[in-house]
Amino acid sequence: MRFDWTTLLLQTVNLLVLVWLLRRFLFRPVMAIIAARKRAAEALLADAEAARAAARSEAEGVASRRKSLAAEGDHILADAHASAEAERTELLSQARQEAARTQQAAEATLDQERARIRRALEAEARQLAVTIAARLLARLPPQAATAALLDMLDAWLATLPAATLGNLTGTGETLEVATAAPLDEAAQASCVAMLRRRLGDSLRLRFVGDPALIAGVELRGPHARLSNTWRADLDRIAEELAKDEQSLVPCASG
Amino acid sequence: MTRSPLTLSVAFHLGPVAVTTPVVTTWAIMLLLAGGFWLTTRHLALRPSLAQATLELVVDAIRQQIHDTMRVEPEPFLPLIGTLFLFTFTANWSSLAPGVEPPTAHLETDAALALIVFFAVTYFGIRFRGVRGYLATFAEPTIVMIPLNIVETLTRTFSLVVRLFGNVMSGVFVIGIVLSLLGLLVPVPLMALDLLTGAVQAYIFSVLAMVFIAGALGGHEAQPDEEPEPP
Repeated sequence: MRFDWTTLLLQTVNLLVLVWLLRRFLFRPVMAIIAARKRAAEALLADAEAARAAARSEAEGVASRRKSLAAEGDHILADAHASAEAERTELLSQARQEAARTQQAAEATLDQERARIRRALEAEARQLAVTIAARLLARLPPQAATAALLDMLDAWLATLPAATLGNLTGTGETLEVATAAPLDEAAQASCVAMLRRRLGDSLRLRFVGDPALIAGVELRGPHARLSNTWRADLDRIAEELAKDEQSLVPCASG
Repeated sequence: MTRSPLTLSVAFHLGPVAVTTPVVTTWAIMLLLAGGFWLTTRHLALRPSLAQATLELVVDAIRQQIHDTMRVEPEPFLPLIGTLFLFTFTANWSSLAPGVEPPTAHLETDAALALIVFFAVTYFGIRFRGVRGYLATFAEPTIVMIPLNIVETLTRTFSLVVRLFGNVMSGVFVIGIVLSLLGLLVPVPLMALDLLTGAVQAYIFSVLAMVFIAGALGGHEAQPDEEPEPP
């Protein structure tokens, strides 16, 4: 056995060259690809983590939006309830007002109808009163009725003031004496005597018949008229009743 | 057995230089390793093929072993330690090929490996600790230990040579004797044992190289306290 130094040198060089070759063709590329895979894995993990964070954020956003939508839905529902309640109140108020107006209109119509019926009844009553009065007068003796009529005229004139009587006729003017039934000559003479005693001797008279007066006497001068007839009384009574009715209508409607 | 495994046979002459058989075998191993790795690593991808996955497994195992043994970042030492292991392993197992004698069964190849480890220890010691820092390691723990530390440095390098040479050469020697005496199939169990011995010796050689280099790094890096016991 001998030691070959040439072989030692060649093997040393060979091994150093092999170190370089394996570093060049094995360790460097393999370590590079391992590092690249590690970086890729880390990038993948980072992407996955980012995606998970994004998904978590998105889920939180969805939950938040869901909550806000629920709150908004509740708010809209509350608004709808409030709006419906306000509209219901408004409709009820309008309905009550409309009912009140309708009731008022109905009451007014009823009052008007009632007044119209009342006026019609009054007119019929007045006509009935005229008829009854005319029939009752027709049953009286004409002289008694005329005498009573003249007495009543005389008493009436006695109650009137002198100024009123003075405005009734002037000098030379004719005073018309109207009665429901024409007076006979005797009654006319008595009437002339009584009126001249009350109104003066220069008084000129003319007698006319007017069945519309029913009963009584009406003095018709050129400037004034004095009426003491049943027709005038009925008209006055009717006017007073009408006034009373007008004064009662607001109270009844109110 | 026609000749002693302790003798070197010259394959051919390159001018005045006689190229011996272990050198030729080493060239073949270099061509096999470098060519195979070059073909495999030409098209590396993030989704590895079976061959790429195997290579990555081997490289990562060596890298992890360096980290576990030296307790340092393994990248600066990976090419040297990895090459030592892969070459020793391949050279020890080259006896599987008919007519091939492992280069590590010859003292010159083992001496070349140990010489590279010796200079690597010195290189990394100076690189990491500086010249004075590296020389100061010879005075640890006391200055009177300097002669012993120098002797230790030389003897442990020599022990690397003898250990690897003795194990591999003895395997080849025993197989040759048994083969010449008993026949064709009888040495097969011994050859299997020789393969196991070769793999273990490759591992032991690499681990010892790591331990020696780590010892040269000193306090800058954590290092194993004691050298593993060789088989």
